[in-house]
Amino acid sequence: MEQQQEVVKGASLWRDAWKRLLKNKLAVFGLAVMIIMIVAVTVGPAIIRWTTGYTYDFIPPDGDLIKSFPPSLQHPMGTDDSGRDILARVLQGGRISLMVGVISTLVSLMVGVSYGATAGYLGGKIDNFMMRVVDIIYAIPYILLVIVLLSAFGGQNAPGWIQSISSALGSGQGLSQIILLFFALGLVSWLTMARVVRGQILSLKNQEFVMAARATGVSTPAIIFRHLVPNALGPVIVYATLTIPSVMLSEAFLSFLGIGVQAPFASWGSLAADGIKNISVFPWQLIFPGVTMALTLFSLNFLGDGLRDALDPQTRKF
Amino acid sequence: MLSYIIRRLIIIIPMALLVVTVTWILIRMAPGSFYSSEKKLPPAVEANIKKKYGLDKPVLQQYGILMGNIVRGDFGDSLKYEGQSVNEIIRRHFPYSATIGILAYLLALAVGLTAGIVAALKQNSAFDYGSMSLAMLGLSVPNFVLGPILVLIFSLWLFWLPPARWGGASSLILPVITLSAIYAAYIARLTRAGMLEVMRSDYIRTARAKGLSEWKVLLKHAVRGGLIPVVSFTGPALAALLAGAVVVEKVFAIPGLGNIFIQSIFNRDEPLTLGIVAFLSILIMVFNLLVDVSYAFLDPRIRYE
Amino acid sequence: MARISLNQTFLGTMFIVVSLFLSGCASSASSRYWGKTVAPTDNVLRYISGSEPESLDPAFGTGQPEARVYMALYEGLVEYHPKTMEPIPAIAERWELSPDGTEYIFHLRKNAKFTNGDPITAKDFVYTFRRALSPELASRNANLGYYIKYSEAYNSGNMFVKDANGQFLLAKDFVKETEKKASDTPEAEPEMKPESAPANFGAATEFQSFMNAPERLVVKGSEKERAKQLEADPKLKAAVEGKELVPVTAENLGVEAVDDYTLRLKLYQPAPYFIQLIPHQLFRVVHQPSIERFGKDWQRAGNIVTSGAFMMSVHRPYDELVVVRNPHYWDAGSVRLDAIEFYPLEEQTTMMNLYKGGSVDAIYNHTTPPAWLDEIRKFKSEYQDHPEVANEYYSISVKKPPMDNLKVRQAFSLAIDRFALAQFRKTPKPLSNFTPDGIFPKYDEARKKVYGERLKAENMTVEEWSKGRLFDAEKARRLMTEAGYPVVKAGNGWSCPTFPVDKVTLSYNTAESNKAVAEFNQAQWKQNLGITIPLKNMEWKTFLPFRSGVQYEGVARNAWVGDYMDPFTFLNLFYSPTNDGATGFHDPKYDALLDAANKELDEQKRLEMLAAAEFQVLQEQLVIPLVTQATNWIKKPYVKGMYPNPGTLHAWKFVYLETDPNKWDTNADNLMKESDASVDEQINRLTATMAARK
Repeated sequence: MEQQQEVVKGASLWRDAWKRLLKNKLAVFGLAVMIIMIVAVTVGPAIIRWTTGYTYDFIPPDGDLIKSFPPSLQHPMGTDDSGRDILARVLQGGRISLMVGVISTLVSLMVGVSYGATAGYLGGKIDNFMMRVVDIIYAIPYILLVIVLLSAFGGQNAPGWIQSISSALGSGQGLSQIILLFFALGLVSWLTMARVVRGQILSLKNQEFVMAARATGVSTPAIIFRHLVPNALGPVIVYATLTIPSVMLSEAFLSFLGIGVQAPFASWGSLAADGIKNISVFPWQLIFPGVTMALTLFSLNFLGDGLRDALDPQTRKF
Repeated sequence: MLSYIIRRLIIIIPMALLVVTVTWILIRMAPGSFYSSEKKLPPAVEANIKKKYGLDKPVLQQYGILMGNIVRGDFGDSLKYEGQSVNEIIRRHFPYSATIGILAYLLALAVGLTAGIVAALKQNSAFDYGSMSLAMLGLSVPNFVLGPILVLIFSLWLFWLPPARWGGASSLILPVITLSAIYAAYIARLTRAGMLEVMRSDYIRTARAKGLSEWKVLLKHAVRGGLIPVVSFTGPALAALLAGAVVVEKVFAIPGLGNIFIQSIFNRDEPLTLGIVAFLSILIMVFNLLVDVSYAFLDPRIRYE
Repeated sequence: MARISLNQTFLGTMFIVVSLFLSGCASSASSRYWGKTVAPTDNVLRYISGSEPESLDPAFGTGQPEARVYMALYEGLVEYHPKTMEPIPAIAERWELSPDGTEYIFHLRKNAKFTNGDPITAKDFVYTFRRALSPELASRNANLGYYIKYSEAYNSGNMFVKDANGQFLLAKDFVKETEKKASDTPEAEPEMKPESAPANFGAATEFQSFMNAPERLVVKGSEKERAKQLEADPKLKAAVEGKELVPVTAENLGVEAVDDYTLRLKLYQPAPYFIQLIPHQLFRVVHQPSIERFGKDWQRAGNIVTSGAFMMSVHRPYDELVVVRNPHYWDAGSVRLDAIEFYPLEEQTTMMNLYKGGSVDAIYNHTTPPAWLDEIRKFKSEYQDHPEVANEYYSISVKKPPMDNLKVRQAFSLAIDRFALAQFRKTPKPLSNFTPDGIFPKYDEARKKVYGERLKAENMTVEEWSKGRLFDAEKARRLMTEAGYPVVKAGNGWSCPTFPVDKVTLSYNTAESNKAVAEFNQAQWKQNLGITIPLKNMEWKTFLPFRSGVQYEGVARNAWVGDYMDPFTFLNLFYSPTNDGATGFHDPKYDALLDAANKELDEQKRLEMLAAAEFQVLQEQLVIPLVTQATNWIKKPYVKGMYPNPGTLHAWKFVYLETDPNKWDTNADNLMKESDASVDEQINRLTATMAARK
């Protein structure tokens, strides 16, 4: 019956949750790191440019300076093989990685959760059909799909409407690449989420509170989204926080295929991939991007856990 | 239940054919061909190649011939690796991927389940925080970073284990650990979340109220229900693991199917890509069926009609 | 707060791990060699050879990874010299070239045998050549054999035309058409032989008189193509109408077994460099009976019969390919290795790990990451740095604005500081020419002479001119301004506000080094011209048609590794409309110049004509040359007889492992100059048979 109460006191649910979140020290820590990180990647590149003059793509004209220098006052994180400031690259890469991680995870949440919940609740033939569609999409070779997408929509071969979107947004090729990237990541990131949610719903849908809701004439969408989904929220949030790192890393792979981030832009994934090659010679090339990324993911995770606990109406009883 | 399983099994073949067809269309849409290379071919040479591989026939006819052969289980010969049949390549390289994949999954299951269950039981304890942070570390260190670091420590610094290549049990240790890290982390976190969810539910309370011992509650009821998210994740994950892990195969130079699959796409080796796709889609569908069946065992409330 | 301490622990751990690596590196620095280096105990070379071979059929595999394996398994008429890659005798003891330069006679040694003991005779070579050029085999390398008479016609499935009297129509009566045909065959151009062919070079045979007879007319084999061909040429149509069409067969090919140990090759035209091509994998001898008996399974272990110093033992695809000494090899006594293990690997870090851990002895070319070089080069005895018969350049889409403007093209080329680029990439050398420098000494001389004559008009010396082409930002900005895109001062840098940046991209295929070079050049253009060109990377097979079809705008990354040791392999890239160096350029005058050069028998004159052609490519700035590539690979100091030759193709029978550490290499840079008595003795013994006749 507590479910019903929640619907009624919807407004205070969020305020309650926020209060509970603030009581969780780890979540607050995660939140603080995330805020600092977002501020840093937003204004950081401009500050560096203003103080030291370095940008993510500045390669010194002097051949002697085009090599990897260890961290120094001038370059707090050192430089990469091309003599570029790693701090500037980490901050610029953070923009892309955070955006990719968050947007793709939101897509995976929205599509995956509603798809999986619907299939799980409706069951029978519909469930069977919906999950077979997921199976098929899962089985189609992803790389091939990306290659075709890229040749059909990438760059100069892009059909007019894609180009007009990106030119309307004012950044030519760069943006159409990013849009393609989100599309490519979104295509698959929801599949496992859908399976996870469906599994949860299957086990929840025969519980008493659902039967009660059905008996009182609550509509199907309302049962799914107001009653079932909130109760499956634990695994969903955990899985979503798990999706972020995997999406960030998929991005590095897609960049390799030519989709997503074009050089000289970088992302945390691509910085780590470049850094690991030189780990035994220039360890700072991996350490700094790696630690930044790990710290961010840790924080996101604490925040996610905190959010789940805060949103979970039953936590109070423990 | 049985009829449900049979129905699901029957539908696998047409679904695999559907996947193959979509893949075939994608291959034909992708730019470049298996014979294109740095050097531009003279038209005569190109014409010879097209004729030899039947690419001069109308597209629909090519598709018809292809599907006819596939239905008979014949995927033809690789276009890149002359004289090797697709079936032979899959048979030869699947065991490598499967060995690494199964070992990695078992390791991940052992580590992940233990950590997840204990963490859930001792929520907010030091163990909980420690193991979950470790899991998060496993997730945020990509395997293309973890592999080389392990190699650096155990092969190039301590000289304990071979740095790469297949050969003997000692060569399996590093790749299996590298591969399992991320799955162990996933399983640990999903188990913990699932367990916490279940421990709060009414039937556990009922079980406790019945006066069952805490151990019995845990093993008989909680673990079973708490495993559902893990099981959902396992279907695709295990299929992907068996199919080969591209990064680990590359870093450790293991002749597994994953790398060959990726290369076949980059090489536009149509028969090989289609063969592996068909194989993998069957694998995925069988695993997902197993997952759906195991739901019913884990949670008696789930029923298939 | 527990959280924060955890992160501190994490950071701490990372740093401990790192300092461990550093100390690990430091400790290895005290040793004499990079990584684990111990005297070999077995006589087996472990070599990383690149990607998994496509095939064990030498007529089929096209890449270098295959070539490396074929060089162990198969032998041809001649072999590459381990240092210079000049042809040295192999199954042919010696050879002669006819005075008109169109006929080769090879004298085979009588003791050459296949791995099953069957003797290798001239007939096997005839089979090998006919097979390699047959349309049914559809070899992607077939066009390398197009110099051989009627080979192109045979490979294309073309037809001779026979009139009612049984006489064949002759090509010389339809000159215009053959010219047209020549223009879409990149590798060779059929040439009208004078009717009085040189009499009897070598033994006179019936086949020789057929070969020396005037060239027959050929028309396309497929009906559709032929109709198109005839439609375009009324004269030809009238002449062919109602005549009998006879397919060109393998027997018409200009390859003849004069007797068991004498092989004759007849070319369409003089091709003084053709002998450089003969060691190519396409012409290495294969075993007819086993191929015919086993069909497509002939390459499997147990079935395969080969002709080289080594024979197949184990093949586990994607894992290893092991070859062992061939007991029937004619020169088995001088083969020094017991076996070679080829590892098909492409991942650089993995290779370096295996090498450092002492699990491999040598690696193929272009594999040492530039970032590691300073570290590896501290150990003087392992790193192989030598110029390669390969360049790296950017093709320009010369038909699309703004790159259709010569001055813009020149400006983009001049705005790149190639010295800084070479310093950054560590081993390549700055290149202002198109054909790599320092590979063909005679050609370098000819180039100097020809360029000097051309530049007299501009009052410049060749040195000034070449140096100026390597980097001149000032001039680049001036040229841009002259082209109508003024470059103006903006703060510390430059800006070129009117340049249409959206019409130009720099496309390249995915590879670590391509990316690094592209980023460097992008920064150069930004700093020196004030223009930021977007970069676009693409997966290889997507990139290929994009580049060769000149679909790109601006510039596209390109590189060429010579097929043979002659500048023509580079200049040929701009020959004919179908082979435009991926630039959209075509100039019949350029084609004519190359044709004339290849008909020239005097070597010096020929090279000068080629130099003139290269000068045209440079003057029109069809490409932005960047660097001459370097071999860039490593081997353990105990691997001897293996040299950084310009193509990184090693004749394996000269390679050996030295167990005595006192005799190991001490300075890899001297490897090409130092003489290794045992290897030299082997080579001298081989070339002696050549000199005997002269």
